[in-house]
Amino acid sequence: MREVWITEAVTVTPLGEDLKQLWTALLCGNSAIKAISRFPVQNYHAGIASCIDDLFVSGKRSMAHALLQRLIQQFSPIPKDTLLITATTKSGIDNLEKSQRGIPAEHRDIMISAVYEDLHRMLKLEREGMNISASCASSTIAIAQGAELIVYGWTDAVLVCCMDLVTEFVFSGFSALQALSPEPCRPFDRDRRGLSIGEGAAALLLMSKKRARQEKRPHLATILGWGAANDASHITAPAIDGCGLQQAIKQAMAVAKCKPSDIAAINAHGTGTIYNDLMELKVFNNIFADHPVPVYSIKGAIGHTMGAAGGIEAAVGILTLQENIAPPTTGFANPEKEAEGRVQAESIPIAGDYLLTTNSGFGGINAAIILKKGSMQ
Amino acid sequence: MKAVITGTGWVTSTTMGHGRNHDRFEMRPGKLPEITRKDVFEKPYPHFGRLDRYSRLGLSAIAFALKDAELNRWTRKQNIAMIASTLHGCLDTDIDYFSSTITAGGRLASPHLFAYTLPNSFLGEAAIFFGLTGASFVISEPSASGLWCLRMALIGMVGGQFEKVVCGTCDLNLPPLISETNTAPCGALFFVIEKEPTRQHLAYGKLRLDKKGILKFDDEEIENLSMLAEKCLLAISNKGMD
Repeated sequence: MREVWITEAVTVTPLGEDLKQLWTALLCGNSAIKAISRFPVQNYHAGIASCIDDLFVSGKRSMAHALLQRLIQQFSPIPKDTLLITATTKSGIDNLEKSQRGIPAEHRDIMISAVYEDLHRMLKLEREGMNISASCASSTIAIAQGAELIVYGWTDAVLVCCMDLVTEFVFSGFSALQALSPEPCRPFDRDRRGLSIGEGAAALLLMSKKRARQEKRPHLATILGWGAANDASHITAPAIDGCGLQQAIKQAMAVAKCKPSDIAAINAHGTGTIYNDLMELKVFNNIFADHPVPVYSIKGAIGHTMGAAGGIEAAVGILTLQENIAPPTTGFANPEKEAEGRVQAESIPIAGDYLLTTNSGFGGINAAIILKKGSMQ
Repeated sequence: MKAVITGTGWVTSTTMGHGRNHDRFEMRPGKLPEITRKDVFEKPYPHFGRLDRYSRLGLSAIAFALKDAELNRWTRKQNIAMIASTLHGCLDTDIDYFSSTITAGGRLASPHLFAYTLPNSFLGEAAIFFGLTGASFVISEPSASGLWCLRMALIGMVGGQFEKVVCGTCDLNLPPLISETNTAPCGALFFVIEKEPTRQHLAYGKLRLDKKGILKFDDEEIENLSMLAEKCLLAISNKGMD
């Protein structure tokens, strides 16, 4: 099996133009979740989200285009033979909103493949890739599939780019499901009241170890294991017993050839909904019963960025391993019983080289990735 | 990288059914049928009528494919993955959802419809109905061939990620809001692919992927999923399979 390195990781989130700014804000316990000014919210169950303040649109294009432009500004040169995998749940759905309101809009931005096509064009890549959509586990699965393509010799380099937007389309839907918290979300807190949605984008450049060394790329982390599984239980709610997440984690650990005691920290999906958080804690307490592995969620800081969540969280996970610090779970104050001793309101030091990051989504999908600290040489 | 095809099922503008039933297959532009529960499922499935058109289409073709592979009846959940390819995804459902939402300033947003505004929701529906616990995701690729789902399935089998995969394509016609002319073939077509040929009597033939990304069915190159279905059906008639 070929080793898969992450050689570059960039983000654009409401907590900063780049990953360094995001990391600093996370460690300070900051939150970007605030009142929405982008669309009227008086008829919804909440009025807050985590938006990038100055995400402006020019002409008929979607905000997705503007977000992607800001993301690629941070890239170092990407090899032309890189295979691009994008991940999104709703692409440029803001343009559907505009179109249905009679506002001129570029229709191609609405298509699910629009993010892929836009980036492929901007980066002038030679190879054809794809967009992957798997609800809120989209980018986690995109990273896993990208790693798999490298491991088995299909390609030497994969660029995984993920993004999703805060739109009235998505906000109204979560409101109708009564899933939105009226206050900034509080993952794993006893008094949590739902999720807060957010927007953002991330890109991770994956390379075979050999190719990365040839190009003298930094070794930020190794993608050691991955897994995905379906609950086969409910279309919008997680399985109470967490069977899918458990299967995904066990699969990832088997691929990584690691054991529970190897894991230094867990980046949880941690949305702040009653059922998601309970399900996750049940699974973590089961698999890591004998190991006090710290668990954190960054969704109290940047909201639930949906299809981009896994990519942004993997990028944060790289810094978690490099700095040996698990960031705080912003909004967490009164521990859910099952979270006691695992989840912290403050950042804490961690010991070890492996990080587990998980995401779950509508349609019962769950995905897990295990990262190993890179050598940075 | 190789595997065996053990089932195929489809719903297109002119036909629906599955390979072992010797149903006719063709995939071309045209109006898709209104699928009823009785067209696909023998037993009552009250939820089926409440699904959006995209989910009904995809779920029906998956149901036919699983029936073809004799995997539609289960008592314990099955570790079967699903990878679907789509060009437009659930755009039709998106339009329906947001039309109803803006009518009353968001007050009438339908939670039920919103749940199906993801291109992979129908895979979740299939997972629940057939107890499928493998990975499930949707691919959108620039080419209309839809072959990436097969490649991903075969690569995943090499790594041990998948043992059995349902993969194929699902697309409604483009809605008028987006395009005045619908010229691309529409419909849903799925295959069941198995790593270990433990059920030889169900094998249509062997699917192989070479290092250049070329897919071959019984040593003949395939260019798209429709061609694969046609070759499977030809294999059946040549072998005289039941």
